[in-house]
Amino acid sequence: MKVKFWGVRGSIATPLTNIELNDKIKKALELALKAGLNAPWQTPQFIEQLPWYIRKTAGGDTTCVEVETGDNRLIFDAGTGIRPLGLNLMRQEIGKPIEASILLSHTHWDHICGLPFFVPAYIPNNNITIYGTHSKIEDRIRHQQDFEYFPVPLDIMRGIKEFVQLREGESFRIGDIEIDTISLYHPGGCTGYKVSYNGKTIIYATDSEYKELSPEPKPIIDFFRDADLVIFDAQYTMLENIEKEDWGHSSTIIGIDMALKAGVKKLAFTHHEPTYSDEKLWDIFQKAQNYLELQSEKNDLQLYLAYEGLSISL
Amino acid sequence: MNITEAFQENVIIVSLDGRFDANTSDAVEQFLRVRISESKFQFVLDMANVPYISSAGLRVILAVVKELRRDNKGDLRIANLQKTVAKVFEISGLNNVLGIFKNPDSAIQSFTD
Repeated sequence: MKVKFWGVRGSIATPLTNIELNDKIKKALELALKAGLNAPWQTPQFIEQLPWYIRKTAGGDTTCVEVETGDNRLIFDAGTGIRPLGLNLMRQEIGKPIEASILLSHTHWDHICGLPFFVPAYIPNNNITIYGTHSKIEDRIRHQQDFEYFPVPLDIMRGIKEFVQLREGESFRIGDIEIDTISLYHPGGCTGYKVSYNGKTIIYATDSEYKELSPEPKPIIDFFRDADLVIFDAQYTMLENIEKEDWGHSSTIIGIDMALKAGVKKLAFTHHEPTYSDEKLWDIFQKAQNYLELQSEKNDLQLYLAYEGLSISL
Repeated sequence: MNITEAFQENVIIVSLDGRFDANTSDAVEQFLRVRISESKFQFVLDMANVPYISSAGLRVILAVVKELRRDNKGDLRIANLQKTVAKVFEISGLNNVLGIFKNPDSAIQSFTD
């Protein structure tokens, strides 16, 4: 399976500002001066060696993650990240019908507002199915495109062939992929998905708060058990998580504890807080690495800071 | 986790012995909340014998501090952190919001300063 992150921001889209861009350029130039850079051929290697938060950005699009198996394409959530994903599919699949299953975690704006800009959904030959556990899932998506809010109604998106109303906790199949669901703690409810294919397991569990990890194995730890990859909501720092109790999000530190307890192999932090800069996200990620080292000397858990374009193959 | 307490005027010194994690955090939280329900609002958490703390332990400390500081009722202050545990406090940012002291005496003294 191949996982690609198209949108990693939580709450609201946050494009890089000119101030942030200028700050990156300033820092890169200062480091170039310090390194004595004096020829163009030196620049590619120099850029590679720059700190992550200078040479890259996490990105500002809201949540969207693509999972490709041999025959199927799953898309988790339709935040603004689904727009560039759609454009990429149109480029890749010229002339061929696009088949995709969009699995919604919930219908808060940051998880659905990209759908009206998902170009493949407008092509009648395409075959797109939308899944969700929330009640009246089709109505919720339809009303987003009521004329008061958007000029193009859902009926024009003729590539969308079906809405599948799931029940909380329901397991189902898409082709040869097994999918399990679990209810997560978030205002209005949220669904976590477990994708099992060809002996590998991916968990998509964004928008959830985990207030306690009691001694008894909680359902969520069992859900995470031995997963190859968990995509985890780490919107806040530990401190903010307590300040914003019941806002329904989590932190890197809690994610690491849960992953260690469940024997997870890879843990990707996503749904980044919109007010956090790349430098702050990188700092939080470095601290998460330090925390992991302190908590367990012997473990194979690999951590990832999700950013737009990050691909993980399993 | 072994939990013991001692009193010094209005301050309760709570000494923990063992790992402060998901398996023990409920017991610590319950212990502190019982004392709070008895209108005790000044605590020193002596962590000299705590070799390990996880997010579950950090959450209990933060939740109790949040409650104690509401309406300026009181506070929970930390003493005797082992090196590794002190590092976890630093990584999580708790050291920026909590009163952390080298020993229980200085923590107790801080309530009268």
